[in-house]
Formats: sequence, C-alpha cells, structure tokens
Amino acid sequence: MRSKTMRTKRWMLVSVAAIGAMTLASCTSGGEGGGADGEVTLELWDTDTRPERTENLEKLIDMFEAENPGITIDYLGLPTDSYMQKISTAISTGATPDLLTPKASDISALVAQGALAPIEDVFVDGGWEEQIDPVMVESTRAAAPDGQLYMTPATALVDVIYYRADWLKEAGLETPATWDEFEAAAEGMTDKASGQFGYTIRGGSGFFPQFMDMVYTRAGIGELFDEDGASTLDDPAVIEATQAYVDLYGATTADSDLTADFKVMIAQFSGGGAGMLSHSIGSYPTILESLESEQIAVGLPYPSENGSQVIAQLTTGFGMFADSEHKEAAAKFLEFTMGEEGNSFWAEASGYMPGNTAVADEPWVAESQALAAAAEARSNPDAIPLNVPYYLPEWTSITDTAMLPDWQSVLQGNMSVEDFCTTYAKELTEAQARYEDAMK
Amino acid sequence: MTSTTQAQGITPTRRRGGKRWYPYLLIAPAAALVAIFLVYPVGSVFYYSLQNYNVTMPLYNGFVGFDNFVAIANDQKFWDSLLFTFKWVVVEIGLQFVFGLILALLINQAFKGRGIVRSLVFTPWAVAGILTTTIWLLIYNPTTGVGRYLADMGLIPYGTSLLAGEDTAFWAAVLAELWKGAPFFAILILADLQSVPAELYESAEMDGAGRVRKFLSITWPHIRLAVVIATLLRAVWEFNNVDLLYTLTGGGPAGSTTTLPLYVAQTAIYDRDFGYGSALTVIAFVLLIIFTAVYLRINRFGKDD
Repeated sequence: MRSKTMRTKRWMLVSVAAIGAMTLASCTSGGEGGGADGEVTLELWDTDTRPERTENLEKLIDMFEAENPGITIDYLGLPTDSYMQKISTAISTGATPDLLTPKASDISALVAQGALAPIEDVFVDGGWEEQIDPVMVESTRAAAPDGQLYMTPATALVDVIYYRADWLKEAGLETPATWDEFEAAAEGMTDKASGQFGYTIRGGSGFFPQFMDMVYTRAGIGELFDEDGASTLDDPAVIEATQAYVDLYGATTADSDLTADFKVMIAQFSGGGAGMLSHSIGSYPTILESLESEQIAVGLPYPSENGSQVIAQLTTGFGMFADSEHKEAAAKFLEFTMGEEGNSFWAEASGYMPGNTAVADEPWVAESQALAAAAEARSNPDAIPLNVPYYLPEWTSITDTAMLPDWQSVLQGNMSVEDFCTTYAKELTEAQARYEDAMK
Repeated sequence: MTSTTQAQGITPTRRRGGKRWYPYLLIAPAAALVAIFLVYPVGSVFYYSLQNYNVTMPLYNGFVGFDNFVAIANDQKFWDSLLFTFKWVVVEIGLQFVFGLILALLINQAFKGRGIVRSLVFTPWAVAGILTTTIWLLIYNPTTGVGRYLADMGLIPYGTSLLAGEDTAFWAAVLAELWKGAPFFAILILADLQSVPAELYESAEMDGAGRVRKFLSITWPHIRLAVVIATLLRAVWEFNNVDLLYTLTGGGPAGSTTTLPLYVAQTAIYDRDFGYGSALTVIAFVLLIIFTAVYLRINRFGKDD
C-alpha cells in the first residue's frame, strides 16, 4: 500500500515536471505571435541602437502598424559593437526574430549561415525595381555571395568629411577642395597647446571604413581587387595615400586617437577637440545636437591626382530571417520601408540617403548639408563607386580583427606602411581566391 | 498455485533490483544537470577543437585532427596572448593580495564608523563588471576625464590617454581591475581574521611579541587557507578575464593587452572560427587544470588537519 502511494507520488512529480517543461517550451515559442484572432506579432532587432535612432525606429513602426492593423512589431535594440554575437547565438539556437536591420557588410556572413531569407520575389513582384535607386540595388545584391537581394536597399550612407567651418574661418582658410588643402587645413587648425587638433583619425575598432574613405579616394582606385583577383591594397598609389593618412597621426591629431572608435571620434569633433572628421552622413543629426549647422561644413573627399572622384557608399536597410513564421507580414514591413511614406520618414530622421528615387527629390534632402554632398556624389557622372567586397566571408575578420593591432602598430611607427599594405593585400588576395574556389 | 509460487519467487528479486537502482535514481537529476551544463559543453569544445568549423565558410568545415593545435603552435598571437595572460595574472593577483590584506587588517581594527568603512571597502566588488569599465573609461577619457584636468594644469599634453600607450594601457587596466578585485581578498581574509581568538594576541603581547611576530605566528597561520583559496579563485578568474579588458582596451593598443581568453573571444565570437577558438579553449582549460592541481599540491591544501 505504502509502495503504491510512493509510486503515485512519483508519477505526480513526473507529471508536474512534464507539465512544467511543456509550459517552459510554450513560453520559449511564445514570441511567434499569430494568435487565433489573426493578430501577428513580428520581432525586429535593430543593430545600431542609439537613443535618437530607437525613437525614430519606433515612430516608423507606429506608422506601419497604423496602416496595417493586425500586425504588431516588437522592437529590440542590440548594441552597435556586439550585435553579431546576439544574432549568432540566435541562429545557433533557432531563436531568430522576424526582421533585422543589417548593413551590406553583414549580409555575407548571415547568408553563409542560411539565416536571411532572399527577398527577390518581394522586390520584383512589388515593382520596386523601378522605384529604388539602381546603384543601391546593385550594391546590395553584390554584397551577397549568390548575388541575390537579402536586404531592402532602403537607404545609403555616403562617406564625407565634416569641417568646423568656424575654425576654418578663424584660421583664414577656405573649405579644402584638394588633398593638399586638406593637409594645410589640418595643420592650420591644430593648436596642441590648447587641446585643438586639426583632424581626428580612427585608430581603434572599425578603422577600415575610414581608412578606405581617406586612402582609396586619394589613390583614385575604386576596386579592392583587380581583374586577376589580386588585392589593390599594395598598389603603389594606395601605399602612398596610406602613408599620407598615417602621417596625420600625432602631427595633426590627438595621440589618444590611437584607440578612437566612432563614438570617440564623434565626441572629439562635436566637443571641440578636432576640426575635421571623416565619417558617414549618418552622423550629421548627432553632430547637430552639439553644434549649430553654421559651425559645420560637409563635403566629399577630394578627387585624386589621376582625376578620379571615388565615392564610398554603404547601403543599409531591412532584412527578413529565413526562419520567420510570418514572412508575409514581414514582407509588408520591408515594402513599407521602401515606399515613399516610410522611406521618406526613415531616411530624413536617420540622415541617410533615401533609396526611393521619388523621395530623393524631396526638399529636405537638399536642405541637409550632408545629404546635399551625398546627392552631389550621386549626380557626378565621373564619380567612381568604391566597390567593397562585402561578399567575402572573411572580410570582417581580416579588416577588423586581424588588421587592427597592426594598424595601431603602423600609427605608432612600429610597422611600416608598406609592410602593412603588402601583408594584408596577400591575406585579402588569398581570401578572394578561397571565395572564388567556393563559388565554383 | 504455480503462479503464486512464481510471484513469490520474482517479487523479492524485483525489490532487490529496485533497491539497487534507487540511489542512482536519487542522484540522477544532479547527474543530468552536470551532464547538460558541464559534460556536454566541455565535450563539445573538445569535439570542435578537432574540426575546421567556421560558420561563415561551411565549405571548408570538417574533421582536421590536430591541425588546429599545430597551427596554434605556430601562431605568434597565441604565444603573445599567453605570455600577457601570465603577466596579467601574476601582477593582478600579487597586487590584489597585498592591497586586500592591508584593507582586511585595517578594517579588522576597532574604530568608530567601522561598519560604514567596511561597506565602502566592499562596494567595488558589488559593482557590475561593465559598470566598472564604464567608470574607468570616463576617468581615462582624454576629453572629459582626469587627463583633461591634468592637461589644463599643464602637467601632461592635451589629447593623451593612458589607454592609448602600450605600457600605460596595461597599468591602466591593472588599476581598474585592482579596484574591483582587492575587496574580494579583503572579504575572505577578514572573515578568517575575525575567528582569531583575541587571547592569542594578548598572550603573545605578554611574551613580548611585536606586530611582525604576531602577524607571522598568529595571523598568517589563521588566514593562510583563505589566502590560498582566494588566490586560486582570483587567478582562475583573472586568467579568464574578458569583460574588463575587452571593454576597456579591446585587447589593444596593437594587441598589447590581449589575454588568451580575449583571443579566444576574437577568434570564435567575432571571426566565427569556432574550430580554432575551441582548440585555443582546450589549451586554456588544460593549463588551468594543471595550474590548479599544482597550486593546491604545493600549498598542501586540505592536509593541514
């Protein structure tokens, strides 16, 4: 009798445990939404969380939800410098959300893991091919190893140079129009005794976009690989331009720039520590929070000695995860970000170039100094786009993790520019060969 | 009648069998948890250390035997990070022990407001790692931190940061971690100090013992085990330190503050090369096991009684 009671108790325990496990299991899959009443809840992960961006993204979501009753979007902001860790974990555990805000540079790694869903059908069937800037569409497709579209070409960032117009005026200088004038301005605005530096160089994490922006434009080379698949990083013109860029460090920059990431650079420029800054147009709204628009001038990097005007541009947008159970609803949001209303709001609020060609003609685009500079780049028939091989699976690991310590050694004078360029030209060439081998 | 006999013959055997399994059933939940949270993760790291496993390049994934370990032997970054890890652990543990001991001896004295002082001393240990880094990043910030004020006073040039020099970044990180780590030593040592009978000190004083003699003959024997366990725990934690160094220096400048676990993080988490990262982890795991066994043996831990 006693034994029977104990057995009963044991079974009760097992049953309770099983019910508990089922409850937990149901909790973990609770984020799928899709209730019986037809309501759909999508989850959106943002990869560039900043207070003002979060606010704008939530407004964009509100606009979408107002037009699409029955679809709700839950927003989750991820840290800018570590979002890939969270995404990688989600991919490994099958817990990916429905929507993401990737950059073109993220696509290759995500596609290689089978994480993103191609959106060619959504794009073509929706007639977006005629409405979105073809250069942005092409560069977004080129960012994926299979040449398909995995992200809406909703917006683009163009790299520009910001100037402290008031400092230039005080120093009796014009806004630079050539590389020589740029160096003269950097020297002219540097007053180390008062903590004022002419330029802020990115020596820390994520240095390579600024490097390309300042080096490849000066060298007048728009391709990271030549026709034979060899890296152009060791091209004599690139080495020479790199040396000129490195020479700025210490002479016209703060020594602390050795470890400066983008937040430090922006703070340096906005806080009155530096007179010039190379960054994308996306920083313009942030800079305007500290400085008046009259205090700032914005322009493109200058033409090279060979006459080429190289333009560095990065497409950003919205993507959909392959495991999303609500692809139809997610696709509606993707289309909303490319449509005139959504695209106009998001691009203006973010300070990005709009992908929708009708939006590009709206008056607010011309009123922004940064966007006007970007528009000038787009309209220049002689401009060469900087073709960055984001499709390379090893791109980030080479240009960030591997290169960074040696880049800092170069800035400190512990490694020559030539050694740096030739070492990583070899690595990039080998990575390109592996990629081509894999694509055969 | 036959069936009754069979039943009588089988039931005791079943009961004996049930009794034999009963202890195993009792430890099964704990064993399952250990298997899930310890054996499986560690086993999977050993498994992946023998694989080429990079999620961004699945074409090349597969079994490679000991190739990852051979590559590590020729990887200068590994040797540099290992050397730095030992330097980091030795300096950190040495300083944390000295400052923790001094703090513990000080706050073990009777004085007015001792409770508040003890709370303040232990506060850094309660601060989250990321908050510790944020505090020290603000202190070291060249525009808004201490450096700016020193530059305003003309003591250092503008635009300099302790985190931007290879030598200074090390000591800047050591100071930040010391601030957080020394209270841990103080807590453990203080707990043992409070168990030392006051009569021992009184007797020693009557015998004419000075402060040093009292410390060596009474205090040290009482706190020795706490010091052994505290240094062991902190050594393992400092060896595995990723959060402070990653957020404060990012392993730089020029890789000068990259510990082995930080190198693992860069390889596995950022480059997504889990095969090579797992092999690095296996080496770190083995090194820590050997260190722990040797350290405890040298200190005759658990054999004093």
